[in-house]
Amino acid sequence: MSQSGPTPATTPKKIKKVSPGELMILWGDGREAHYLAPVLRGMCPCASCKDEMTGMRMILPIHIPDDLEFRKIELVGQYALQFEWSDGHHTGIYSFEYLRELDTPN
Amino acid sequence: MAFWSKDDKNPGLSEEQVLSVLKRVQDPDLRKDIVSLGFIRNLKIEGGKVSFDLNLTTPACPVKDQMRDEAVALVKALPGTEQVDVKMTSEVRQAPQLDKTALSGVRNIVAVGSGKGGVGKSTIAVNIAAALAAEGARVGLLDGDIYGPTTPIMLGMDQPPKSVGNRMIPQEANGLKFISMGLLVKSEQPLIWRGPMAHKALQQCLFDVDWGQLDYLMVDLPPGTGDVHLTLAQAVPLTGSVIVSTPQDVGLRISMKTLRMFQQTRVPILGIVENMSYYICPHCDSRDYIFGQGGASRAAEQLGIPFLGEVPLDLAIRIQSDIGKPIVVDQPDAPSARTLREIAKKVAAQISIRNFEAPELEVE
Repeated sequence: MSQSGPTPATTPKKIKKVSPGELMILWGDGREAHYLAPVLRGMCPCASCKDEMTGMRMILPIHIPDDLEFRKIELVGQYALQFEWSDGHHTGIYSFEYLRELDTPN
Repeated sequence: MAFWSKDDKNPGLSEEQVLSVLKRVQDPDLRKDIVSLGFIRNLKIEGGKVSFDLNLTTPACPVKDQMRDEAVALVKALPGTEQVDVKMTSEVRQAPQLDKTALSGVRNIVAVGSGKGGVGKSTIAVNIAAALAAEGARVGLLDGDIYGPTTPIMLGMDQPPKSVGNRMIPQEANGLKFISMGLLVKSEQPLIWRGPMAHKALQQCLFDVDWGQLDYLMVDLPPGTGDVHLTLAQAVPLTGSVIVSTPQDVGLRISMKTLRMFQQTRVPILGIVENMSYYICPHCDSRDYIFGQGGASRAAEQLGIPFLGEVPLDLAIRIQSDIGKPIVVDQPDAPSARTLREIAKKVAAQISIRNFEAPELEVE
């Protein structure tokens, strides 16, 4: 989480599941970012997916099916999103800052 | 009085005329005129008699009288006006996203936090809540200090709440609905809980209590930045938070941590209240700034957040708290009660501002 506080670039205006496996976030600076479920799942920041002490990833792309879907998308207070995936996992809290970081413009 | 004769002389007193002069009245907090804000309701013109409702965003509006007086004076100055009747009403707006939670009857949830313990956070929370209720708002108080609940003492009510089905009915006292661990656990019995239990307790106090329709639900947090804080910031979209601090440097520095925690979880800071600002001698009424002067207001200025006021170390506040009748309810005109009531109004104004400025977020 950033120290500088929220900026338009890290403040979503619209969050939409465009297909079972794809999420769109329209950010306050106008950027429309698309996120694929398997990619986001692989970057899960929760303690069981990313070792708290070493930062090592406990879940690897080979563990994630290509057709993974979003089962539920929920706001966490006003600062993050929490996903429930079709593999049953649901403990990751993705802050808006983190989601913006994960957006790689192409 | 024959209105028809007036009408004949002055057929032109129209709604447009009245609205155009009312447009000159600004809401100083929302920085828009009261017509554009949609505050004018039920405008009626019968001859020279003009009546309307001025529907504000909170019954505890600090500039309520000022806006009403301005509106009345401007309409009265219109040629042909004989009488102006204004009814003051209010409708508290709901924070964005809150309607989508299980607390859809609650319009705003506000956390009251502090860095360290013992700064009088609960005293301030209880008095702000009771003052808002006294202004006519529907107010709830959730005592989130599960390890050291004090609101049952301060509100003079320690009977366990009733339940209907698996939902608790909040207790009522001093015009407030409230729930506290102190109502659920015998007062001498300490709560020795690990984090997950604290998390669960707070969730139950939020979601398993029949809060009904509330304009403001104040949550009195435990000191510091722990499980309860994080649970609250994650469980519900908070309209904002109020930080209570003493003027001392050490108290303030720790308050900064609480402030950063709110910022990181994107909970807007409604402002800082400085408690124990000075001591009022009960014999000679002189002021003694025992913890230094102006610490919190300087910090607020540096951080660019509203400073909500200074509350003195006043024997009367303590006595009223101990007998279970908050000073704002029992002695509303005492100097410290006036200060606390002003602070409550400023909090209400900040809540209105936040709800006006809050960015829209669509989730599909």
